[in-house]
Amino acid sequence: MDHAVLVLRRRVGETITIGGGIEIEVVEISRTRVKLGVTAPRDVSVARKETIAVAAENRQALELISAGPESVTETLRLLGAASPRDS
Amino acid sequence: MPCVMPPLLERNDSRTIHSPWLGDVETDPRCELLFPAGLPGFEDQRRMLPVEIPAQRPLVYLQSVERAEICFVALPVYVIDPAFRLLLSEEDRSILDLPEDCDPVIGADVLCLALLMPAGRSVQANTNASIVINLHNRRGVQCVPADGLRSRFRRLDDSGWTTLC
Repeated sequence: MDHAVLVLRRRVGETITIGGGIEIEVVEISRTRVKLGVTAPRDVSVARKETIAVAAENRQALELISAGPESVTETLRLLGAASPRDS
Repeated sequence: MPCVMPPLLERNDSRTIHSPWLGDVETDPRCELLFPAGLPGFEDQRRMLPVEIPAQRPLVYLQSVERAEICFVALPVYVIDPAFRLLLSEEDRSILDLPEDCDPVIGADVLCLALLMPAGRSVQANTNASIVINLHNRRGVQCVPADGLRSRFRRLDDSGWTTLC
């Protein structure tokens, strides 16, 4: 994909808009962090980038129980086998 | 089935969750956990019920109150990784209602769980994405470090827990 990088300077209380429907406001600036407020339509997902991989992991985690009781039984068997030497 | 933690409030507002996985589970708001931000990928699931089946300890089920088909299987992080260290961001502390100067003790102040996910015939868990629950107010958050720490997967097999590279 062909993406451009736009670098902007903003002060507290100032905003930028994306696509007309998304607005990002600089709420607070401290020495090392910036607090942002994001206004977006409900159908637009807004997330910290580092949570995207965890979201996929969580969806995968849901499959453990939906695979049936055998998967839980097998987990319990492995836990029972592991516990004596788990340290 | 009993919830993991004793009720904090005295109200009688019980209801039944018809879980396709756990059967009918009695619950009321006293037993529920509140995840103000949901969980990544499940941001709309804010009310979860911790369920413990005595014969299946130390497994803990996190059953959604709002959608019966959503149920996670978890373990206390110390079971998976005895060397686990809790790292809370400013946002995590805010969601959990923990003071900045508070150094919460696992087991006394907070419960730390890791969700189990299938991995072939085994299971694995990312201990760098632990679910932390404030035992004093039942608020929870899944802590995902923003400082570049990668996922830390531990896999359970016949030889015990091993760290995946």
